[in-house]
Amino acid sequence: MFFNSYEFIFFFLPVTFFIYFYLNKKRLTEASKAFLVFASLFFYSWWNIIYLPLILVSMLVNYTVGRELSTYTSKSRNYSPKMILGVGIVFNLALLGYFKYADFFITNLNKVFHSEVSLLNLALPLAISFYTFQQIAYLVDSYRKETKEYDFLNYAVFVTFFPQLIAGPIVHHSEMMPQFAQLKNKVKNYHNIALGLFIFSLGLFKKVIIADSFAVWATQGFDVAEQLNMLEAWVTSLSYSFQLYFDFSGYTDMAIGIALLFNIKIPMNFFSPYKATNIQDFWRRWHITLSRFLKEYLYIPLGGNRKGEIRTYANLFTTFLLGGIWHGAGWTFVLWGALHGFALVIHRAWKKLGFKMNTFLAWFITFNFINIAWVFFRALNFESAIKVLKGMFFGELIISSSVINYYEGIKEFGWRFGNWSTLYETENYLYLWFIAVFIIVLFLPNSMQLKNKFKTNLFFMTLTILFFLSIFMLYRKSEFIYFNF
Amino acid sequence: MKSKTYLKIFFIIIAIIGSIAIIYTNYFARHYPLPLTSRISFDAKIKFIRDKIDPDKIDTLIVGSSLGLNNIQGTVLEESSSVIKNVLNLSVYGARATQVEQILELSDAFPNLKRIIYSAQYSDFAHARYYDKTNYEAELIIKYIRNELNPIKSWKIMFNACKDIFFCMKRQMDWEVKHTYNNKFEYLGFDSTGSVPLHIYGDDIIGHRWRGPQPNIQNPKSFSAVDRMSSRAAQKGIKYYLIQQPYRGPLAKENEFVQAALNWFAKKNIQVLKKNGGYFVSLHEKLNLGDKYFADRTHLNDQGSELVAREIAKIIDLNEGK
Repeated sequence: MFFNSYEFIFFFLPVTFFIYFYLNKKRLTEASKAFLVFASLFFYSWWNIIYLPLILVSMLVNYTVGRELSTYTSKSRNYSPKMILGVGIVFNLALLGYFKYADFFITNLNKVFHSEVSLLNLALPLAISFYTFQQIAYLVDSYRKETKEYDFLNYAVFVTFFPQLIAGPIVHHSEMMPQFAQLKNKVKNYHNIALGLFIFSLGLFKKVIIADSFAVWATQGFDVAEQLNMLEAWVTSLSYSFQLYFDFSGYTDMAIGIALLFNIKIPMNFFSPYKATNIQDFWRRWHITLSRFLKEYLYIPLGGNRKGEIRTYANLFTTFLLGGIWHGAGWTFVLWGALHGFALVIHRAWKKLGFKMNTFLAWFITFNFINIAWVFFRALNFESAIKVLKGMFFGELIISSSVINYYEGIKEFGWRFGNWSTLYETENYLYLWFIAVFIIVLFLPNSMQLKNKFKTNLFFMTLTILFFLSIFMLYRKSEFIYFNF
Repeated sequence: MKSKTYLKIFFIIIAIIGSIAIIYTNYFARHYPLPLTSRISFDAKIKFIRDKIDPDKIDTLIVGSSLGLNNIQGTVLEESSSVIKNVLNLSVYGARATQVEQILELSDAFPNLKRIIYSAQYSDFAHARYYDKTNYEAELIIKYIRNELNPIKSWKIMFNACKDIFFCMKRQMDWEVKHTYNNKFEYLGFDSTGSVPLHIYGDDIIGHRWRGPQPNIQNPKSFSAVDRMSSRAAQKGIKYYLIQQPYRGPLAKENEFVQAALNWFAKKNIQVLKKNGGYFVSLHEKLNLGDKYFADRTHLNDQGSELVAREIAKIIDLNEGK
């Protein structure tokens, strides 16, 4: 079930909301939690019930291992907690590896050894990357004795809570469980409902109106066109950059909004990432909970910046390389991760050397680097990525004939005039879209800033209603991009 | 404002907007063609049949593109023939032969059908295009036009069609301007049989459409579609007539490839129809119409479409023995 679907907005969400609070009102708090788990699993199974046993097994194993870790006392055991943690992590990575990377591994093996091992052709279980990471974090926290002992029901609520189940944000056990336990959160909070509806509507607008519009142009350029001229290629790559941002941040806003209806505060995941003036800044603003996970559970355990400069660079690079692989089983993702890792290394070295740069230039370089790197992230293969990049840098520049009327002088530069695009010829208002969206991402407050400013007044009600009108565009039902990761 | 009051007002406004949307959708469905397929003329035709036609009475279907819609007046056909009683013109603007085959899936909605008249010209055979199955579900449309769906399913169709309510609003705004003038090629004012006679003369004639012949592209898949259509009709005991529409004489004379295209179209269709027992009639040859009957190179004005209808009536009466 998509957040951006009628069945979710008009059936699943209100029904779950009312039953959950009704049970709490009747002081059936355990039943309300059980209902929430049931509703979340129903939500999860809506796509394909075949995935359900997998998430249940994953939860059971992780819960058992986590409990073992948090209750561990050396007297009664003849194995170390490190071993238990190792078993837990190996289990999770094996699960992820089998379902997500097996075919990638076999394909490469076949290429290298000229073998003909058959592919497994497994369907990627929905949300596996997210719930696996979330549970690895739980195991590590349990190992560090940062989790309290909870029963399985509580644990199941933590893993399956439907707003964040499919595509995050990746949450910590410690930031979720106390919220579910607090009595004040078991009664309806009208301010939270109003705020939740505002954030949800804003997310819906981002996804349905902005991301899905850019999706059409990105798909045209990446998947349909055989060749792109310079402007078409830039339209293609920028369209994807905006599609991805508004798609994923829209999803996150919707998740945050829905969770707020249940009085649960989910951490923010985006903070105007395209305003970043360096790559480190970007990763502090983009998919924040993933960055946090990678930092706490990968970069720091690898040694972080504590083992000398060279090792710090290596750790940074490795962390982002693995971050790239986490996004997908493909060499384009590996390259995307490597590019970001490399950029972070350069940025760190630059900072160390004490160099400075004009803010606008820094933004320009950062934004363009990110935009170019997304090409590898989006492209189905290297040929497609190269097609777009070739167009961006070496494609023919055709200026729209209408421009000549305004700037006669540019004829002298020998540029070609005509129909600037055959791919987007009916989309002349593309210019307006790009201007609008640049204004939104660079100058307007982001969702989290709006959330902090929110008041139950006429202004925010009008905004909520306007954003909510996106439901009239739900016919363009489309998946969220991060459902694939 | 207190949060509770805020929410009350918010939900009241949302409820009002929702109610307006539902009322508007109902209003739209009553007065304008619901976007069920990807073609407005097809949608309009579906609405026309549902509102005005008794499918059990129909014995003759005219199918085709605009060359079926504009070039044969169903009412004249009914008046002029002694065998034809009730005509429905099921033609849709822009329908290629392969799409006409899809449209004919709807023929099951007419249990007393005796004949199909496919009105075409070589230009209809240029490309093998198909209606997207997600926009065109023949079985459902049959039930819809026969009013055989229960109210819930009818409502579901209506709301599904108007999910993009802005599209419906745009269609409403465009309707008056684009489709209600009989001197335009987008005209959709159906006569009682669903035909659309055009009143295009003098200044309303569009130069390039009048002067420029269509290229000679005839896709083999189009002839295969005719083969299947005629064969299916034969199996059901329905007579199948393929009428080649007139083409402006001067264009055929001035451009060798036009004459070649007309000949090839006739030759191939005669071959195909021979084995299935269908009938091919070239009205281009037979009527040899002058320019005063044409709205462009191959579309006829209302005088031309009347003549064509009378001629077809004659042919059918002769062929069917009365």
